[in-house]
Amino acid sequence: MEQGKKEKTSALIKVIEGGPLEIKGNFILNDLKRDITETPAEVYLCRCGKSSEMPFCDGSHKKF
Amino acid sequence: MGTDNFQFTGARKYTNDEITVYWKPSACVHASYCYRELIEVFDPGRRPWVDMKGAPTAEIIRVVNLCPTEALTWKWNDEEKNKNVTPDQTNHINFKRPELATQSGTDEPENPVSVKIMPDGPVVISGNFIFEYSGNRKEFREGLLSLCRCGASHQMPFCDGHHRKIGFEDK
Repeated sequence: MEQGKKEKTSALIKVIEGGPLEIKGNFILNDLKRDITETPAEVYLCRCGKSSEMPFCDGSHKKF
Repeated sequence: MGTDNFQFTGARKYTNDEITVYWKPSACVHASYCYRELIEVFDPGRRPWVDMKGAPTAEIIRVVNLCPTEALTWKWNDEEKNKNVTPDQTNHINFKRPELATQSGTDEPENPVSVKIMPDGPVVISGNFIFEYSGNRKEFREGLLSLCRCGASHQMPFCDGHHRKIGFEDK
């Protein structure tokens, strides 16, 4: 991969083991089911399927 | 651009009187546009899963063009018509050739990364971004990434289509 591109990208997608998906930086969040488009600085998305605040993590994964 | 020599490995073909749809399973990220929009044609629970008699040609083309990868592409059976296809037909083989594995992400680094929450499905990320998983392993990625949101994937953290099998409902 070209070195230049690495420096220019401004979004981080991080899989937290046993937890949510952390996304921060320059991104557009588009929830097709709830018809939401926004540009937050940071989000934590549910990866366990149990959240009651979808698409966001509400800590429910800890109960399982 | 001619399409006479169009061929690639691992693809299946489905055809009606007017068009041919190509399906390349290895390119699918389970974004699920196809069966959400047109279950009559694209039914993952049926074999064969594509039924070209299920909808009019124009509707099939519309839905194939929604596929964010090169998993689904199409062409006119009349080669003359393929010469006049415009780029708004995003998944026509002139613009998205499966064998090239072109990415929908842009090279323009200033563009924000697209994070799409698919209804009752994965989160599809596209663009240029840093991807970090399995501890502290970080890699630069460009293109498309489909990550599990239902908790049932056998290929964590990636989506493998299991959300459909478990009937995942994102409430």
